[in-house]
Amino acid sequence: MSYDYLFKYIIIGDTGVGKSCLLLQFTDKRFQPVHDLTIGVEFGARMVTIDSRPIKLQIWDTAGQESFRSITRSYYRGAAGALLVYDITRRDTFNHLASWLEDARQHANPNMSIMLIGNKCDLSHRRAVSKEEGEQFAKENGLLFLEASARTAQNVEEAFIRTAAKILQNIQEGVFDVSNESSGIKVGYGRSQGQSGGRDGTVSARGGCCS
Amino acid sequence: MTIVKTNHQFLASGVVGLLVGNENSSNEDRYVERLLDRISNGKLPDDRRNAIAELQGVVLENEAFQLAFGAMGFPIMLSVLKEERDDVEMVRGALETLVSALTPINHAKGSSNEVQPALMNTDLLSREADCISLLLSLLEEDDFYVRYYTLQILTALLTNSPQRLQEAILTIPRGITRLMDMLMDREVIRNEALLLLTHLTREAEEIQKIVVFEGAFEKIFSIIREEGNSDGGVVVQDCLELLNNLLRSNASNQVLLRETVGLDSLVLILKLRGSSFTFNQQKTINLLSALETIKLLLKGGSESDPGKDMNKQANKTTLVQKKVLEHLLILGVESQWVPVAIRCAAMQCIGDLIVGDSKNRNLLAGKVLGEEPQVEPALNSILRILLRTSNMQEFIAADYILKSFCEKNADGQSMLASTLIPQPYSTNHAFLEEDVSMSFGSMLLQGLTLGENGDLEISCRAASVLSHILKDHLQCKEKVLQIDIEAAPMQSLGAPEPLMHRMVKYLAIASSMKSQVGKFSTSENSYVQAIILKLLITWLADCPSAVQCFLDARPHLTYLLELVSNLSETVCIRGFAAVVLGECVIYNKSTESGKDAFAIVDAISQKIGLSSYFLKFDEMQKSSIFVSVKSSLTYQSFTRSSTSSMVDIEDVDDNDLSEKKNLDHPILSSILDSNFVNLVKSLEADIREQIVEVFSRPKMKVAVVPAELEQRSGESDAEYIKRLKSFVEKQCSEIQDLVLRNATLAEDLAKTGSTLQPEQKGSGGSDRIQIETLRRDLQEASQRLEKLKEERAKVESEAIHYRNLAGKTEADLRSLSDAYNSLEQANLQLENEVKALKREGHSTFPDVEAIKSEAREEAQKESEAELNDLLVCLGQEQSKVDKLSARLLELGEDVDKLLEGIGDEAGAAGDEDDEDDE
Ligand SMILES: Nc1nc2c(ncn2[C@@H]2O[C@H](COP(=O)(O)OP(=O)(O)OP(=O)(O)O)[C@@H](O)[C@H]2O)c(=O)[nH]1
Ligand SMILES: [Mg+2]
Repeated sequence: MSYDYLFKYIIIGDTGVGKSCLLLQFTDKRFQPVHDLTIGVEFGARMVTIDSRPIKLQIWDTAGQESFRSITRSYYRGAAGALLVYDITRRDTFNHLASWLEDARQHANPNMSIMLIGNKCDLSHRRAVSKEEGEQFAKENGLLFLEASARTAQNVEEAFIRTAAKILQNIQEGVFDVSNESSGIKVGYGRSQGQSGGRDGTVSARGGCCS
Repeated sequence: MTIVKTNHQFLASGVVGLLVGNENSSNEDRYVERLLDRISNGKLPDDRRNAIAELQGVVLENEAFQLAFGAMGFPIMLSVLKEERDDVEMVRGALETLVSALTPINHAKGSSNEVQPALMNTDLLSREADCISLLLSLLEEDDFYVRYYTLQILTALLTNSPQRLQEAILTIPRGITRLMDMLMDREVIRNEALLLLTHLTREAEEIQKIVVFEGAFEKIFSIIREEGNSDGGVVVQDCLELLNNLLRSNASNQVLLRETVGLDSLVLILKLRGSSFTFNQQKTINLLSALETIKLLLKGGSESDPGKDMNKQANKTTLVQKKVLEHLLILGVESQWVPVAIRCAAMQCIGDLIVGDSKNRNLLAGKVLGEEPQVEPALNSILRILLRTSNMQEFIAADYILKSFCEKNADGQSMLASTLIPQPYSTNHAFLEEDVSMSFGSMLLQGLTLGENGDLEISCRAASVLSHILKDHLQCKEKVLQIDIEAAPMQSLGAPEPLMHRMVKYLAIASSMKSQVGKFSTSENSYVQAIILKLLITWLADCPSAVQCFLDARPHLTYLLELVSNLSETVCIRGFAAVVLGECVIYNKSTESGKDAFAIVDAISQKIGLSSYFLKFDEMQKSSIFVSVKSSLTYQSFTRSSTSSMVDIEDVDDNDLSEKKNLDHPILSSILDSNFVNLVKSLEADIREQIVEVFSRPKMKVAVVPAELEQRSGESDAEYIKRLKSFVEKQCSEIQDLVLRNATLAEDLAKTGSTLQPEQKGSGGSDRIQIETLRRDLQEASQRLEKLKEERAKVESEAIHYRNLAGKTEADLRSLSDAYNSLEQANLQLENEVKALKREGHSTFPDVEAIKSEAREEAQKESEAELNDLLVCLGQEQSKVDKLSARLLELGEDVDKLLEGIGDEAGAAGDEDDEDDE
């Protein structure tokens, strides 16, 4: 349970692109062939290790359907990382990326790290968006980029971990004020020894002494 | 309703005016109107501020002003809030006025049907467009009072129109985030925000998730820690209430709490600190709330959630790792100074923790409590509490643990049963002293036999535990049958008797005590009886040797028969007794006459009457206890408003007024769980079936073997006659028996007809069943007969129809062949004529030959065409005849005979027809 940092992620993108599947593959190493529409948001968590530091990922998988937008927007601000997902076999999901990005820029923390994922790359025979296009979009908007498959698990682990590595790098470069609630980052048990008892300190940090 | 205030220029919206039904615009209205006018149109800031202060003052104190303000003031106040942000004093004043307008003014009781201006105002305000987002934006103001009043307004809105506000807040980006930030604010604001969030999260899953996303768990636990955990004040209670809102029926949040925040902080709240074991009311409530949290986690989420069970299991595992069981044992079992409500809730949680979980059951079984050398297994301590407590709820909670421990736990049951070793009588008096060396079984046996000293209540509690140990466990049942209890020394006559007999004895004592004492204690003893009967029902189920043991004492059967028909007992007791009797029939393997199934059925039929016997089952099923049985106890959650009634079981709602003796003890609804009710229901079905079976196949004393009735070779006539005579005599006596039984049945039937008329429809005697089956059989038979008749009539009419058809065809054929004949004749005649003409006109008409051939040709053509038609016709007729013949053959008619009269022509035509067809 003890970790150096805790990062909050959100997963966003059109309905049916495979957001829930990516999360399930990452947390449970399973694939779900049937589309269970996500209602509102769902939660998952996993521990990862980056540079031999234990990091806890709290991941909120949001509903892609338009009708849930107002609910899902509530999750933008508090997130440190976002996976923005499209489906390489459906051109429209790629075309909508700009509007997703706009939403994110408007509601999220400006320092949020965003990973663009072209999902379902196992279906290359039905590809409608080339890898280059994805790369290009990511580059133009300052996003990380990977093509992945929730079905074969290809690049799934990498997507989550590279995002975390990026956030970690930002922390080390001092981009974040990690004591700020809205950064989506918490300093964990292991690093909380020197924490003062001030009112504004992160709460979880003080949890360490009580176990 | 009249629109009263159309003259107000402020009232652009107009709608609010409709809501005030006051005809004449009152002084208050005019006064408020003037103030509002000053506020919105005043030129001097000071004047406007004064007007607002004045307005706030009157609205705070007087309902009439509240009403007047509500009718016109909201748009003006909101515009102040929007446009005068920089004027803190104005904003404060506007907010304070709003708070006053929404705060109910305490007035005399009994006026609840009147319009409540504060309530009406909250509704009006919540309908104002953008009101919520405006208020939320005010939470970011620096001024303390602005935030404080704003929170109060939001709370008031939320209390009265929760759904509208919940929906509105979801549509405002960062709306909840701002509220969450208030948790890190100054104490007063924080506490206000806690209350607000508690309202906001009630039954709103999406909001619950967002609140958790915003770090609610960490914040809640941090506040609880700061406030001193369970020793903290009402804020801790509020925190726990919010926590429970977030976890109740929300598996996703439970996962998050477990996976990322952890359960340490929660378990820590249960930890008792320091040496001062004082429990004030607040601490009690705090602990009860924390135990509620544990309970919610042990439930795993809402019933409908598919992931509930997995989540529940994970919660259990984590809680156990965090040593929750140890804390629960301290609260529920070890510490006698803990208030009983907490002890009960803690034991309930222990039960939830072990039910259906072999690992946790074993964990509990391995726990020892106390300090060396005074240590004893936790299960023993629980049993001691169960037997000794003076509190019914505590007994129920302890019983729940032991029940959960035994359920589907054959090893555990054997383990407990193995310690059931009778102790010499002399040690019995030591029971009330704590003797940690005593085994579970000895303690239980002592409890069981304490009825000897007149303490039936303890016996009955022990009986409840014993029934858990015996449930569905044949070996345990058999083993406990072997236990003999020594008679008390003063009763010099007493020989050791089986434990089971002892229990029946207590059952009898409980009934007899009841008839002696007045009405008040009736229900007390009825639960003693019910629990002992439950033990017997559990014991006898599927266990012939238990039935045997029960019937070994003659008076048992008599007593039970009496109990079933004793109208001073409750329907439940009578029903249970009837079930035990029924078990003596269905699980009876005895062949001993007087104790076998036939004897029991005869006794039931003679002493009670079958129909009134079965009626007992119906009455029991209909009793409120059976109807209201739930699978587990329901405890209330502890909200600020419900803390006074802490642990209370629901009273049995008895609406069966015709059954005035149906005073079952409320405890029964806890003891009679759904498992037991289902057992009784399935037993009932078996009993009915078995009794009908016994009656329809009476055991014959004389076997009738046809061969035996013949005279044997070498047997003299005298011998033969003698043998037959003795056979007839035996049969005669058998018939006598049957006649007797028949008479009993008939009597029973007659009684059912006269005395039970009003209830007859609901009654369920086997007679009724038999009659019903007979009637159904009869109905079926006559239906079948009717159908057969119909069928025959149909066949007959068909046969007639076909015969007619055949006749017609025959006639047709005849006329056709006649026609053919006459045609041929005509042809012949023509030919003759032609010949004659030829002969005559050979000389006179040289070309007569040509004419002749022409005529012949013509005639031939004509006759050929006619012949063809005829043949086609014949063909059709023939195939008709074939079909009809076949059908007639089917119907059993002799076709050849029928066709006899038709003659050869038909046959010839048939042959030709064949050629034609092919
Ligand atoms: N072949 C293939 N199918 C996938 C992959 N990922 C997801 N799918 C399928 O795509 C469908 C939608 O997946 P989900 O993960 O439920 O979609 P979502 O993005 O969560 O959709 P919403 O919850 O409505 O927003 C499912 O039928 C998945 O089986 C993938 O990598 N390869
Ligand atoms: Mg989904």
